Amino acid sequence: MSYYWQYGTLGALTAVGGAFVVIAFLGNRLMRPRKPRVEKATTYECGMDPVGEGWSNTHIRYYLFAFLFVIFDVESVFLFPWAVQLEKLRPQGTVLVEMIVFIGILAIGLLYAWKKKVLEWVK
Amino acid sequence: MPTTLDLHAVLPEIILSGTLLAVLVVDLFLRDERKLWNSVIAMAGVLGSFWATLTLIGDHRATFNGMFVVDSFALLFKLMFLAVAALVILISANYLDEGVRSTQGEFYFLLLSSFLGMLLMASSRDFLMLFVALELVSAPGFLVAGFKKRDARSNEAAVKFFLFGVLSTAVMLFGMSLIYGVTKSTNLVAVGQALAHPAARSEPLIVASILFIVAGFGFKVSAVPFHFWAPDTYEGSPVPVAAFLSVASKAAGFAGLLQLMFVAFPHQSNVWAPGFAIMAVATMTLGNIVALAQTNIVRLLAYSSIAQAGYMLLPFAVVGGAGPAVMRQAFAASLTYILIYSFMNLGAFAVVIVVNRKRSSNLIADYDGLMSREPGLTTAMLFFLLSLAGIPPLAGFWAKFFVFSAAINGNAAWLAAVMVLNSVIGLYYYLSIGARMVLRPAEDQSRIGVPFALAAAIILLVIIVVAVGVFPDFFNHFSPRSTLVAL
Repeated sequence: MSYYWQYGTLGALTAVGGAFVVIAFLGNRLMRPRKPRVEKATTYECGMDPVGEGWSNTHIRYYLFAFLFVIFDVESVFLFPWAVQLEKLRPQGTVLVEMIVFIGILAIGLLYAWKKKVLEWVK
Repeated sequence: MPTTLDLHAVLPEIILSGTLLAVLVVDLFLRDERKLWNSVIAMAGVLGSFWATLTLIGDHRATFNGMFVVDSFALLFKLMFLAVAALVILISANYLDEGVRSTQGEFYFLLLSSFLGMLLMASSRDFLMLFVALELVSAPGFLVAGFKKRDARSNEAAVKFFLFGVLSTAVMLFGMSLIYGVTKSTNLVAVGQALAHPAARSEPLIVASILFIVAGFGFKVSAVPFHFWAPDTYEGSPVPVAAFLSVASKAAGFAGLLQLMFVAFPHQSNVWAPGFAIMAVATMTLGNIVALAQTNIVRLLAYSSIAQAGYMLLPFAVVGGAGPAVMRQAFAASLTYILIYSFMNLGAFAVVIVVNRKRSSNLIADYDGLMSREPGLTTAMLFFLLSLAGIPPLAGFWAKFFVFSAAINGNAAWLAAVMVLNSVIGLYYYLSIGARMVLRPAEDQSRIGVPFALAAAIILLVIIVVAVGVFPDFFNHFSPRSTLVAL
């Protein structure tokens, strides 16, 4: 039974979180004035009326760009901790060369994308 | 903490990685009619890596904090994988240059990536490494299965393979995470020690996680009931890819399975061995019986490869609570079977590729009267088929013999009996192809013509199948020495 008490904190947090939502919305509803108008009932999207359907096509090129973005995103994820620890790691030359090899492999990926004309926008 | 890396231990992998990057870059600057050069670069890299592996023979090295180990087990598998890689390049060069000329560079890049995963797989002694290696084997496989981009069947093959592959990976990873939760280690040897505790021997959580892991590997080696993807994937993929998947990726699955079962979970063998018995019997029986009804040669070879996986699984079934001697023999039997199977199956597929050049339907009927059209090719095919059937003095006989004697020594005579019955069924369909080739008249008397690369591969494979059959000591001498089974 004591095993399940470990989840007590989680349970308390869930209860408090739920209560917060209920109290906040209920309090809001009880205290606010209520004067509906047509403009107030429209869907709000950054101050402009929403345009077009919810379903729309996205050009395949966006996905290719997304992939390329991921390549460099992943690169930076590995690069930051490496840069923070570089001072402490030994032998330093090897650690530096390892990262150069890693970036080199990613650069080959970029070269491939470039030669395959992924970087050019539709003409 | 100083990070020391044993670069010599990973030299074969470094050479292969360098080669696959070189192929990718060089391909960008080659004109379409010169793309065949990619295969030459890939071949040079594979041979270089093979040489690097030979320089490691006799060593026992560990690096990456013990995640990566070089021992005789790993080296034997690496040499086998690299030999298979060289042969797959030989048998696919013409097919690709004629079929998908402009994208063949990517094919070699993906093929070598997959083989890089296999090399890592043979050396992995850690759940994380094993998982990464297995993914590296599978992911390029999904892509090459769909390599005929405009062919709907090829796309179907790729999607099926991908969905099953991802599902099995998820299941397996879940099992691995549970094992890590129980043992607080991902190292296979440490896990094995942690699970040796008497309380851990039949703990339900551990049994469940072993089940998940075995199910995941079951997909990779296409064992019944996890085999559904295999025939459709092999049939739809380009034929060299089917050859590659049925041989190399299956062997990679077994390389992982052998390590897991005999290093990490030997103390639970009482629990998993009966499971393997059921799986082995179901796999060989279903594979053989369904193979009888096939009219397409690639589907027939697919079901035959499922049946063969059953024989490879059989030694796992006899080790339940057995002593180290039985375990070592079972390990060696399974290992030997995988090695021999790889070469004879690759040979059969090489012949299919040759016939496919003339008639792309891959029907068994296309083989009628092949003897009068291409006597040399037909003789080679007969060697491979008889070896798959297990006829002495070819290599396949010894593979079956080792498994059979492992079953007898493990006091599992009923398994040995089931295996013999299945071999008889197998003999029927292998021989019926042989009979069609020799006895039936050919519809079309024109010669097929065997390109140089394919001829070289087929001749090499015939030599291997015959030589191993005549000198079985070669493998027998190697496999028991595996430092893995020091139980």
